[in-house]
Amino acid sequence: MPVPRKRPNTYAWRIWTVIGVIGIGAGVVTLRLIQLQIIDHSQYAEQARQNHVSQIAVADRRGALLDRNGYPLAASEDSYNVMVERGAWENPADALSAANKLSGITGVPAAEMLDIVDTVDVYEVPVAKNLDFEQATAVRDLDLDGVRLLEGAKRVYPEGNLASHLLGFVGQDGRGLTGLEADMNSELGGAEGTLTFERDGLGRELAIGDRSETPALPGSDIVLTIDRYIQRLAEQELDKIIKERSAQGGSIIVVQPKTGEVLAMVSRPGFDLSKPDTSDESKQALYRNRAITDTYEPGSVFKLFTTSAALDMGKVAPDTTWYDSGVVKVDGWAIRNWDFSANGTQTVQQFLSKSLNTGAAWLAGLCGPDAFYDYVHRFGFGAPTNSGLSGEVEGKVRTPQNDPGWRSVDAATNSFGQGISVTPLQVAMALSAIANGGTLMKPQFVKEIIGPMGTQPVEPQAVRQVISPEAARTLLDMMGVVVDGMSNYIRVNGYNVGGKSGTANITSENGGYKGGAYISSFAGVAPLNDPQLAILVKIDEPKDVPWGTVVAAPSFGRIAEKALAYMKVPPTEPALVKGVQ
Amino acid sequence: MATQHRPFSRTRSWGATLPVLLICASIAVGVAGLLPLVQSSGVTTTGGRIWQLEQERSDWQARLQEQEVQVARLGSLERVDKEARERLKMVPAKEVHYITVDVPGPAPNRVPSRFVEDEAKQPDTGQSLWEEIASWIPVP
Repeated sequence: MPVPRKRPNTYAWRIWTVIGVIGIGAGVVTLRLIQLQIIDHSQYAEQARQNHVSQIAVADRRGALLDRNGYPLAASEDSYNVMVERGAWENPADALSAANKLSGITGVPAAEMLDIVDTVDVYEVPVAKNLDFEQATAVRDLDLDGVRLLEGAKRVYPEGNLASHLLGFVGQDGRGLTGLEADMNSELGGAEGTLTFERDGLGRELAIGDRSETPALPGSDIVLTIDRYIQRLAEQELDKIIKERSAQGGSIIVVQPKTGEVLAMVSRPGFDLSKPDTSDESKQALYRNRAITDTYEPGSVFKLFTTSAALDMGKVAPDTTWYDSGVVKVDGWAIRNWDFSANGTQTVQQFLSKSLNTGAAWLAGLCGPDAFYDYVHRFGFGAPTNSGLSGEVEGKVRTPQNDPGWRSVDAATNSFGQGISVTPLQVAMALSAIANGGTLMKPQFVKEIIGPMGTQPVEPQAVRQVISPEAARTLLDMMGVVVDGMSNYIRVNGYNVGGKSGTANITSENGGYKGGAYISSFAGVAPLNDPQLAILVKIDEPKDVPWGTVVAAPSFGRIAEKALAYMKVPPTEPALVKGVQ
Repeated sequence: MATQHRPFSRTRSWGATLPVLLICASIAVGVAGLLPLVQSSGVTTTGGRIWQLEQERSDWQARLQEQEVQVARLGSLERVDKEARERLKMVPAKEVHYITVDVPGPAPNRVPSRFVEDEAKQPDTGQSLWEEIASWIPVP
């Protein structure tokens, strides 16, 4: 029997093979463990942490927008959505029972809730939205399986749609989309914090798990310069005129001349603040604050600024005369008065009272184009007012410097407010400059910001001295004489007021002017002895009667009378004051 | 005999006390083992209580917010106007008379009031309780 000698070697080879395989396997496993535990430790540790730790952004309450006396125009309150896990409502009988209970609290029909849960293919769906605190507490007390409350916030408007364009609105995420809500979103929104917590398999927070929170900073409350009473007065007046005159829209701006604080700003057409529909393209135009985004040709109201320039330059005085032949020829163009009248020898006061285009062209000629446009720019036309409101446009002022196509006739037509485009806010602020001794103020919409770190007042800012105080005083007196001639249309009991009306053509999209369409406006100051209010009333395309004196001036009178009484401004006529207590 | 008795006595004494010591030690170890549990339970209870109090605070804050909004709604010009006309049967004045009153009007209340300082709050004197008690003692 031959003895196989190599058997032990074969055995050893196999053993070593097995050991080798095991060793390699162990080595691979060890290397893999080194990779997992040491090299990629932080990555996997983070993944593991994310599997059982949640981190969510938390926000504190959004700040409120208050009127100048502290009345809320927009504020936030907690609201709650009822969330249902679809898995918890798989049993029809249980689902119906739970839906019936919820329906009694939320007012949403049970069938509708069941339908939402059946049709939406996500883990959890909202079946009722925007519940108030009492409703939310009742739902919480039901302690239904698979039902929880998701806390959020909704914007509320205690004064309804007051100052809707100025305030703007927020989106579903609570961030401002338009108006001051968007422009001051960072102040109103505060700073987000983070909440980190351990969660269970269903994503719910563990009651005894680790929990850490970086608290959110609450948003600041913003006190506006808007006065809710005067704002409402202006809105009611504008709505009334638009309805009476079947007008397309309009704007009213009320400014406190000494500070530049805007007390009221309203534009029409408006919109419902509580239901803005951003998905409908056709409604986008409604959200525009036309007092700053839309330009127009101001018409005869602009004669105030032309006269200011001539007075300030010392070229004329109220009793300076010139001969009105009824027509002025410039560059071959004939400029006539609005009523085609020829008035003979006239004073500057008469030119303003009768609103003669020929007189305005004469004054612009006296000033010369460079000086005339310098004053136009100094009054703030052709540049944004830096109001801080987004969407503000600068208007269009063509000058020899910025337009090679400019001709002398342009200065002549610009002098009576045609061929020049401005925003209502620019006109209101320029008017305020006349009422403020010739000093142009920056329009101010925010009075102070009240936040967790304290109160930050916003101080009025003077932009520049446009005309001398003497020229401004002279013009105010002339404006008073102008209004004296409108006594059929303006009655401000107890106060002397001044102003100037305007009736302007509207440019068409094809160039030229729209036939039969006008903008009626009135720019006025009250009271004349110590102006507290500068008011611009602008009505777009009134039907039948286009004249600013007839359409817009009466509104100015009504607003001024009520606003001055509300502001406790003593009447100019002492007979009205009954006594001192 | 005395030399024999002493070690015997010592051994018997140890024999009697050792089990007691062991039992005591076991109990001590057991109690010590329970301490973290008790501590953990205490932490859990306190944590639950804090969570409950936070929930209560949150509820009260929500109630306060709702009340503030409600106050604002009730004070809105639209509602005041409606109440004046419909409930109080008031009509707009046809003639306005002015009376000069030499007293400033009251400052309006601000709502929401979260950033407005409480005027009724007593100013902080900066003294601790002990300092206040010490201040009562008449020191010459």
